[in-house]
Amino acid sequence: MPTLEGGLRIEIETPTDWLVLEQISDDALDGGEDRLPQRLGALMDEQSEWEEVVIPELKALFNGQITCVVEGVQRGQAEVELGEEAASGEVRIPKADAESWYGALNQARLALESRYKFGPTEEIESLDDFSEEKRSAFVRNQFYNALQGVLLDYVLE
Amino acid sequence: MVPVESPITKKKAKQSTELDGPWTVVVFDDPVNLMEYVAKVFQKVFGYSRAKAEDLMMTVHKAGKALVWTGSRERAELYVQQLQQYQLQASLEKSK
Repeated sequence: MPTLEGGLRIEIETPTDWLVLEQISDDALDGGEDRLPQRLGALMDEQSEWEEVVIPELKALFNGQITCVVEGVQRGQAEVELGEEAASGEVRIPKADAESWYGALNQARLALESRYKFGPTEEIESLDDFSEEKRSAFVRNQFYNALQGVLLDYVLE
Repeated sequence: MVPVESPITKKKAKQSTELDGPWTVVVFDDPVNLMEYVAKVFQKVFGYSRAKAEDLMMTVHKAGKALVWTGSRERAELYVQQLQQYQLQASLEKSK
């Protein structure tokens, strides 16, 4: 839900919601923190200084995005632990953190796509052929996608 | 006497020639990055109008890749770096 401060608030309705939010960082880090920077760097030729200069910078940037999400979820959980039910609470995404959240969600989706090869969503007619693990990953992927859409529509400039 | 040419100088000269421009920044399609986001990134990185950014984004989507900028190698590398920071699959090609 968009906030008056220009950010976003995610309302927690079930304990599973917390699990899905915690899963963002796990999904993003699937294959290791070097995977995405190396994959992007592989597109460059030997003349560039990607390996020495750019890849370490990309790695630091992408790790920072994941840390931002982990800390945001933990802050939300800490408030609930002060005396409410685990099936409630909220996670706030301030406007200043929106780009990091978007980036971490994108990392998670890139890693899921790399592992499960979903392909374009509009070409998926049924989830019946997916294993349970792949189906679960696809549902997370769709949730991350939806959250990115809301960030794009209401928060990111 | 004919001066002996240093192999190192020769190699450097060759590399310099190879790096001479113009170079093109290429963005490749992927099934993850949202179309609206890609267009926004083009606006941010290159300062393109919304119409031009959306046009290039549609080229990426339909053709699998788009040539989004042409110029010096140094500047092109900077743009690729910025595009990769937004997690777009971007690279360089020497212009023909």
